[in-house]
Amino acid sequence: MSMSIRTLTRVLAATACLAAPLPLFASAPAPGDAGTPDSTLARGAYLATASDCTACHTVPGGQPMAGGLKIESPVGEIFSTNITPSTSAGIGDYSEAEFSEALRHGIRADGANLYPAMPYTAYTHLSDADIHALYVYFMQGVEPVDEPAPETQLPFPMNLRFAMKAWNLLFLDDTQIEDDPRRSAEWNRGRYLAEGPAHCGTCHTPRGFLMQEKDGEAMAGAQVGPWYAPNITPDLADGIGSWSHYELFTYLKTGKLDQAQAAGSMAEAISHSFQHLSDADLRAIAIYIESLPAIGSTANADGKVEASAAHDQNRFSHGEASEALASFRGDGYAEGLKGDSRGAQIYSANCASCHQPDGSGTADGYYPRLYENGVLGDDNASNLLATILYGVDRETEAGGHVFMPPFGEQSNAFNSLENDEIAALANYLLGHFGETDEAGKAVLEVTPEDVQVIRDGGPGSPLVMLARIGMGVGALVVVLLVGYWLIRRRRRF
Amino acid sequence: MTQTASAEVVIVGTGVVGVVVAEQLLDAGISVVMLEAGPRVTRAEIVENFRNLPLGIKGSASSSYPPKPWAPHPMPRTGNPDEDYLQLDGPDAYAQTYIRYAGGSTWHWAGTCWRLTPDDMRLNSRYGVGRDWAFDYETLDPYYNLAEYKLGICGPADPALQWPPRPRSKPYPMPHLPFSPGEEKFTRVVKDALGYTNLPVAQARNSGTPYDERPACCGNNNCVPVCPIGAKYDAATSLKRLEEKGATILSNAVVHRIETGEGNRIEAVHYYDPERQSHRVTGKHFVIACNAIETPKLLLMSADSRNPNGLANSSDQVGRNMMDHPQMGLTLTLDEPYWLGQGPVVNSGIMETSQGDFRAEHAGAYFRMNNFARNRYETFNALKTGKVGRALDEEIRRRTACTVNVVAAHEILPDPNNRLTLSSRKDWLGLPKPHVYYDVGDYTRRSADVYSMPIARRIAEAMGAIDVKEPTQFAQSKHLMGSTIMGNDPANSVVDTDCRAYDHDNLFLPGGGAMASTACGNSTITMVALAFKAAEALVSQAKGA
Repeated sequence: MSMSIRTLTRVLAATACLAAPLPLFASAPAPGDAGTPDSTLARGAYLATASDCTACHTVPGGQPMAGGLKIESPVGEIFSTNITPSTSAGIGDYSEAEFSEALRHGIRADGANLYPAMPYTAYTHLSDADIHALYVYFMQGVEPVDEPAPETQLPFPMNLRFAMKAWNLLFLDDTQIEDDPRRSAEWNRGRYLAEGPAHCGTCHTPRGFLMQEKDGEAMAGAQVGPWYAPNITPDLADGIGSWSHYELFTYLKTGKLDQAQAAGSMAEAISHSFQHLSDADLRAIAIYIESLPAIGSTANADGKVEASAAHDQNRFSHGEASEALASFRGDGYAEGLKGDSRGAQIYSANCASCHQPDGSGTADGYYPRLYENGVLGDDNASNLLATILYGVDRETEAGGHVFMPPFGEQSNAFNSLENDEIAALANYLLGHFGETDEAGKAVLEVTPEDVQVIRDGGPGSPLVMLARIGMGVGALVVVLLVGYWLIRRRRRF
Repeated sequence: MTQTASAEVVIVGTGVVGVVVAEQLLDAGISVVMLEAGPRVTRAEIVENFRNLPLGIKGSASSSYPPKPWAPHPMPRTGNPDEDYLQLDGPDAYAQTYIRYAGGSTWHWAGTCWRLTPDDMRLNSRYGVGRDWAFDYETLDPYYNLAEYKLGICGPADPALQWPPRPRSKPYPMPHLPFSPGEEKFTRVVKDALGYTNLPVAQARNSGTPYDERPACCGNNNCVPVCPIGAKYDAATSLKRLEEKGATILSNAVVHRIETGEGNRIEAVHYYDPERQSHRVTGKHFVIACNAIETPKLLLMSADSRNPNGLANSSDQVGRNMMDHPQMGLTLTLDEPYWLGQGPVVNSGIMETSQGDFRAEHAGAYFRMNNFARNRYETFNALKTGKVGRALDEEIRRRTACTVNVVAAHEILPDPNNRLTLSSRKDWLGLPKPHVYYDVGDYTRRSADVYSMPIARRIAEAMGAIDVKEPTQFAQSKHLMGSTIMGNDPANSVVDTDCRAYDHDNLFLPGGGAMASTACGNSTITMVALAFKAAEALVSQAKGA
């Protein structure tokens, strides 16, 4: 279940790309490709990894790129497609030009539009050489699988594939990325990767009413289903300006720092994609991210961090090791669950065996400390609640396989906690390890209703998001029809 | 009496054996209903039960699992037969521990998984003692592999450290866990002084990696009585998955009678709910997997006109051959620190001492230095010194570091006189309590006299023990075996090679009860291998029926 929610959020985030204006780049000499392997085939494989194709096109444990990953949604089931070179079930018949059209414009070989679950709005920035390398990889480096993926059949208005043409006209900026000669080759490489294949902004940039990425708020943080993709601009208070370059590099490589750990779709991105990129490319991405305009309370209107800004208060700075065992120990479990000790008792019973009674985690950080941790110190409880409900699953060469069991309704849930239990636990955690006011009271408080929202898939719930996109599509269709009618009418006279 | 449930296969017991059989059936598309006498609880509750116990009884595996009135199980003995559940008799007390909770006694097992050796399965033909198994090791090997992958058993990749010492047909799914500092030292000492190899224990525990969608062991050293994070396999971790696959699991359902019908086939089981109302559950095939005490008890309780001596009992072997691994534990005080307690509570052991031609004369033994953190035990000894304050802290620390517990676990022969019968004393529901006569026998006693304890003393000496406390009698290992014994001859065996009752075509009794020899290593992995074998037969029988 967690898998489908996580995947759904990825797809929805990608879907939202539909409306992204992406005004950043003009025209396109090939960007620097420092760090990519030599042969075209190997480079294509590398780019497929950088683009995280497998996240959607491979069923866990299934045949690579054979599609069929089912995403349950309130408006129907969405299936990813078979993109193996099978001529009967995959894309084996695609010419390179058709392949390029699918990647850059979301147009299938038969002329039909892809749903923007396929993030072509980001892949459109790929260079011709990289598109070629990807084509070679998909045709020669992927085993053909002749089993067709199930067809996606969405109800009206989501089934109007042609309506996507209208969206593309309005929002798809297919210009290739041009190197900025004033910047270093590393920075240019980082920008190419971050804005193209790695599509960071898809999750980290907040969106407007029509799900377009908001102007001037790149990477400032956004809700992605039950998770919150945080502000990763260099703001000292609200972003990740307090991280060193090495820390950002390490995070992309392992998903793990003392103060921050990747979960949800970021854990998938690191497990499937980032950890496999070359160190040079990870450094390049880090350099670009560090150069973004800062957005937050320490930044001025030009995106610069104010020199006078306080450096010591951010989401990684709150809380300290502490426990409350004395408030219930020896009274019995049922007694401990009553009254003020409830959250502490739930913590002791479910969490303390790994994270330690005082929240200090294990010495090697495999089980992270909870104080001075971005999940607890944030002013948004989504990631805290989502971590509890969905757990953590992240596997990297450098950091091993990290796994926290979920506490939702999954069959492997450590304990299927109720909303009010999770709220009590979260409030205990926020009080001890989160931001507190002068009276020592947690700044952030969650309710059982908040937990239910995250349990249902987050405040940008699938239903709402899909309905909104659907309404937008419907409205556009009407506008286009009216426009068409007007033009015809005008011609007639 | 009401009819509450029905399925193609009815499984009584939700311990590891019942759960493994159930999943094989469900995966084959066969419907399953499972009945559990005890309650279904969360791990969180058990963890807190344990933490809230007074230090003095934290060592009792069952104290974190208070029994429900309708599903009594053995608790620390009071000596009052009206209070105690097990009614014990004979020269040795069969004072076992098990729990009647959904998920069964793997809740509090250590997770140790020693396979039998080929010789362990042919004691009679090789050494002229005990019974041979009805099949050989090669027959069991593929089911061992299945057990290792199902439970997630970590073990050494180095053939020199594997048990039994023969080429494996499949590698372990996970690498073995590292030794604690004390185990490192112990391993060196026994090798240097005595030539023994202290092997990493193959154990059902996630070593450095998640497995089965459960987390990696983080060394709480709390495996007994409960793994607080589910890194150790226990059957409770499977229950929700079984339900997702379609199983119905009824807890607080105390099966008290198995009903036979035409052709002496099983027609139904009857259970009491906590309101003492009886219900009837029907099916086409039946699995009784309640452990080697509760299963024979239920078979004997179900005697009817067709089966006046109890079900499956035409051989008169139901409830006989009660076996265990009688153990002798020595507490050593050493002149230098060993520091036990990092990692799982049992993490290494010497197995080579379980094999040899001496088995014609006496039992073999498996030696292990338990890896329980010692402060729990030694605090009381430190208090007895009268020290207070910092001196007391120092004394606890010194004793924690410098004491160890070395255990010799023995094999035992099947003896029909070691027998479970129905006591005239009744439990809360009015059902008879189990009565067990038990004598570990000369074969095992002789081992302690001439073999195992002399070795243990040499180990103590090699470790530099300055004080040795030896036990005066055998203790129990909680490894219940033998009471529905397997064999090729229906005249002296209860079940056939698939754990099917000779007397009832559609009744399966997989688990420890079927084991014809105990060897010295813990029995669960063999029980699970038998469960896989029985499930395979059951699937083909159910599909063919």
